[in-house]
Amino acid sequence: MITNNFKIAWRNILKNRGMFLLNILGLAIGITSCLLIVLFISDELHYDRYNKKADRIARVVFRGKVGGEIMKEAVVMAPVAQTLKDEIPEVADATRIRRAGTPKIRFENTVYRNSRFAYVDPNFFTIFTLPVIHGNNVDPLGKPNTAVLTESEVKKYFGNTDPIGKELFVDDHPTPLEITAVIGDVPENSHFHFDIFASMLSYAPARSTSWTKSNFFTYLLLREDVQYQQVEDKLPLVVEEHMGPQLKAEIGMSFADFTKDNQIGLFLQPLTDIHLYSDFAGASELEQGGDIRYIYIFVAVGVFMLCIACINFMNLSTATAAKRSKEVGIRKVLGSEKRQLIFQFLTETFIATCIAALAGILITVAVLPLFNELSGKTISLSFIFGYETVILLLLLIIVISLAAGAYPAFVLSSFAPVNALKTRFFTGRDTRGLRNGLVIFQFIISAGLIFSTIIVSKQMSYIQNKNIGYDRDQILVINEATLLGNNEKAFRNEIRKNPLVQHISVSSYLPAGPSYNSMAGIFMNGQYQRRMFFYDVDKNYLQVMGMQLALGRNFSDDSGSDSLNAIINETAMNILGLQKDPIGRTFVRDTDQGGQELTVIGVVKDFHFKSLHRQIDPLIMRNRPYGGLIIRTKTGNMSGLIENIRQTWNRFGTGEPFSYTLLDDSFRQTYRAERNMGHILRIFAMLTIFIACLGLFGLVTYNTEQRLKEIGIRKVLGSGVPRIVALLSKDFLKLIVFSFLIAFPLGYYLMNRWLQDFAYRTGISWWTFVLTALITVSIAMLTIGLKSLRAAMQNPVKALKAE
Amino acid sequence: MLLQLSNIFKWVQTGGQRTFLLKDINLTVEEGEFISIMGPSGSGKTTLLNVIGMLDGFNEGTYNFMDQSVHQLKEKHRSALYKEYIGFVFQAYHLIDELTVYENIETPLLYKKFKPAERKALVADMLDRFNIVGKKDLFPEQLSGGQQQLVGIARALISKPKLILADEPTGNLNSRQGEEIMERFKKLNEEGVTIIQVTHSEKNAAYGSRIIELLDGRKVSS
Repeated sequence: MITNNFKIAWRNILKNRGMFLLNILGLAIGITSCLLIVLFISDELHYDRYNKKADRIARVVFRGKVGGEIMKEAVVMAPVAQTLKDEIPEVADATRIRRAGTPKIRFENTVYRNSRFAYVDPNFFTIFTLPVIHGNNVDPLGKPNTAVLTESEVKKYFGNTDPIGKELFVDDHPTPLEITAVIGDVPENSHFHFDIFASMLSYAPARSTSWTKSNFFTYLLLREDVQYQQVEDKLPLVVEEHMGPQLKAEIGMSFADFTKDNQIGLFLQPLTDIHLYSDFAGASELEQGGDIRYIYIFVAVGVFMLCIACINFMNLSTATAAKRSKEVGIRKVLGSEKRQLIFQFLTETFIATCIAALAGILITVAVLPLFNELSGKTISLSFIFGYETVILLLLLIIVISLAAGAYPAFVLSSFAPVNALKTRFFTGRDTRGLRNGLVIFQFIISAGLIFSTIIVSKQMSYIQNKNIGYDRDQILVINEATLLGNNEKAFRNEIRKNPLVQHISVSSYLPAGPSYNSMAGIFMNGQYQRRMFFYDVDKNYLQVMGMQLALGRNFSDDSGSDSLNAIINETAMNILGLQKDPIGRTFVRDTDQGGQELTVIGVVKDFHFKSLHRQIDPLIMRNRPYGGLIIRTKTGNMSGLIENIRQTWNRFGTGEPFSYTLLDDSFRQTYRAERNMGHILRIFAMLTIFIACLGLFGLVTYNTEQRLKEIGIRKVLGSGVPRIVALLSKDFLKLIVFSFLIAFPLGYYLMNRWLQDFAYRTGISWWTFVLTALITVSIAMLTIGLKSLRAAMQNPVKALKAE
Repeated sequence: MLLQLSNIFKWVQTGGQRTFLLKDINLTVEEGEFISIMGPSGSGKTTLLNVIGMLDGFNEGTYNFMDQSVHQLKEKHRSALYKEYIGFVFQAYHLIDELTVYENIETPLLYKKFKPAERKALVADMLDRFNIVGKKDLFPEQLSGGQQQLVGIARALISKPKLILADEPTGNLNSRQGEEIMERFKKLNEEGVTIIQVTHSEKNAAYGSRIIELLDGRKVSS
């Protein structure tokens, strides 16, 4: 029986090759999308799960609102870790990370500059699961001036020789570091990635007792069965007790007075929430994380794709039902029970689904590299063949077989044999409502996705074209110019001779991409105001960046005389209440060595130096030229100029590799997540409408088959082809237009929420709706039109003869 | 007595009116009979045949088949009954296009859950009997109409029915092929199979032992 089922299923598939391919194609695309999305989500959800104690680890973070400034830091003060461990019994242990960038590191005669370096407390490896694979696995960082390297880092420095006991010289670190152990590379899905972990014991600031300077990522290991909220509840008291006295000493206000108008405090963030829920991105987060909202979007898209593919299957199967009704009739007369017929039809769906799944896997394998590129992931092929994926696939096959096959199977098997044997017999009038509903559903999703895609692109082009207050085109940044040491000035003078170089500014502060970042508290008239951003620049900075002065003057040539002067941006001017006559006014910048009085000599027009997700922050520029080179160029041949500068660099350099960035690239990089999202959304939107159109094609086929006789009669009576095409298309068009009624408000609501996330955003205008409607309708009409045209052009005699 | 229809009425409701398809049909069929049902188009011949074959129901009257009251049986038992005792032959042959000759003949056995070995023997026997062994791997579209109808009859006979119902079995065939089929029926009848056929042709009706004439759903003679 079962072999017979398979046999007939296979022959039916071969017989209806075209329809079958449509079916398979739609399903395969649905399955591929689903697989990719599952791989993506599972990767996202497994962040930091490699830690055996992941569920017991929480990070201490700082949040506050001071003087109107929302403050949030993923780093906290140096003594927090030890204090919490000592004073809160639920905390079993605490450890810290101090990020130290990519310092210059020397081994024997070779210098490296690309090792991600961090100081960690000696107990770090007992809390995080990063097993030692070679060397001291008991207490590798227990002594000062020790370091643990990752496996690939060891390869870089030492090749295949044993690294244990070797010494590395690190810039800014007085004594060499002795390598005590090697660990495996930090897993891809970790919220931090370092290559060298040095012992915190050799890092003096770690012993600081200051409760006002945040620099340390601090992680608590909670005792078993402790909820992190229990610990969080105890934090305000600890903060008041330790921070209070220091705050009073610094700003002259008691903790109680300070917290009347301001809020500050420490909070906990479970380790496993960091990647998807952390809101510290752009502030002090270790790495750009994911976003739980994108996970939801992906889940929705995945489910939608699958639904649409299943709906297609149902619709296309019922479309071919007419052809099968005779067979159903015969089989019933020959003694088949309904159950056996249902089973037979389900077998067919099952085979089709298996083939689709197979195709889906092949497509997934083929497009995985592209998907990785788009999503910024490194999902490996082996993951597809992991047992989880296999189980998921089996489940998918069963669910799809049932979902897509059940409806047609029951419809087909319920044909009464006497009716089914009549030459031209169709059921379906009673199920038309359901089918229409399904089509509407498909087009709600298609139109909704197209709409969303348009909005995302619109916002991206808005960002790209928005006047951001400076000119990011044709700016070349050589951030590591300081590596040239004493040759830097000569190098600068040399490249200045190049006629393609317009101006050069010396600063490491950039409004886009990796930049120095510093903030300091501001006092005015003895009153603490709030913290503001500081830029250390030179007199060429404004000119190179194309920033405009609103008031006052730029820094003058003689840097000495301007060293206590400042240029502030408009936001700072407004916040400090200096709208009337700001020039010549003074304020005090808080420093470690007490206050520094600065005089305002100019106001720069606001420019965006953080992402457009947020409002412009107050900013103060000081005349302190040091750091990298920012070069304004005028050339269509940027790569030629860069090559030229590279040669100059090599002449002056000390063997350091030349590296540069283009400011515009850095700017684009800032919105990479949104851009990727946009790309992925666009692809899924296209796939969705494609599958939906496959379904539509099926339905039109079904419909025209049903109405072949009507078409024949109309033609005999003299109707022209266009009128018949219109007749056949009208009903579908109605459904699509109806789907807009739901898709538009829904899309508007959702995309409006997405846009709220940008402080600066484009609007949703009427033409977006019109464009969506036009795209959807024209694609659908193309599908319907082709099929209807064929039906309308058919010789009417053929249709009528069959009766 | 194989079957007995008493006071069978069948109608369809159109608007407020009943249109009768069968009116007060009384019919007794003995085992071994060869009956031809005749009458003009729309007189209810096929409907009567479907009622006898239990493919279609009726609104009034009683129907006994081999001492079972069909009108009181549930759908499931009814289909079990016709599965067991009745074979159908159609004007349009109604072979399954996707199956070979061999598989078409085999299909009823599958539904009756015969073992593979038994099926093989029975089908081989039938192919032999109808002289179509050489065609067993062909699909219906590769056969002539007469050959297709032969396969249809073979398929109807494979489960050894007591009764064969044939709805204009030669309607789509030329006269030579039609004669062949009728000869085959005659032979079957002589072997003891009861046959009821619907036909338009006096010549074909002559093969039978009894003629029932219908007009507007009513039996006019027998």
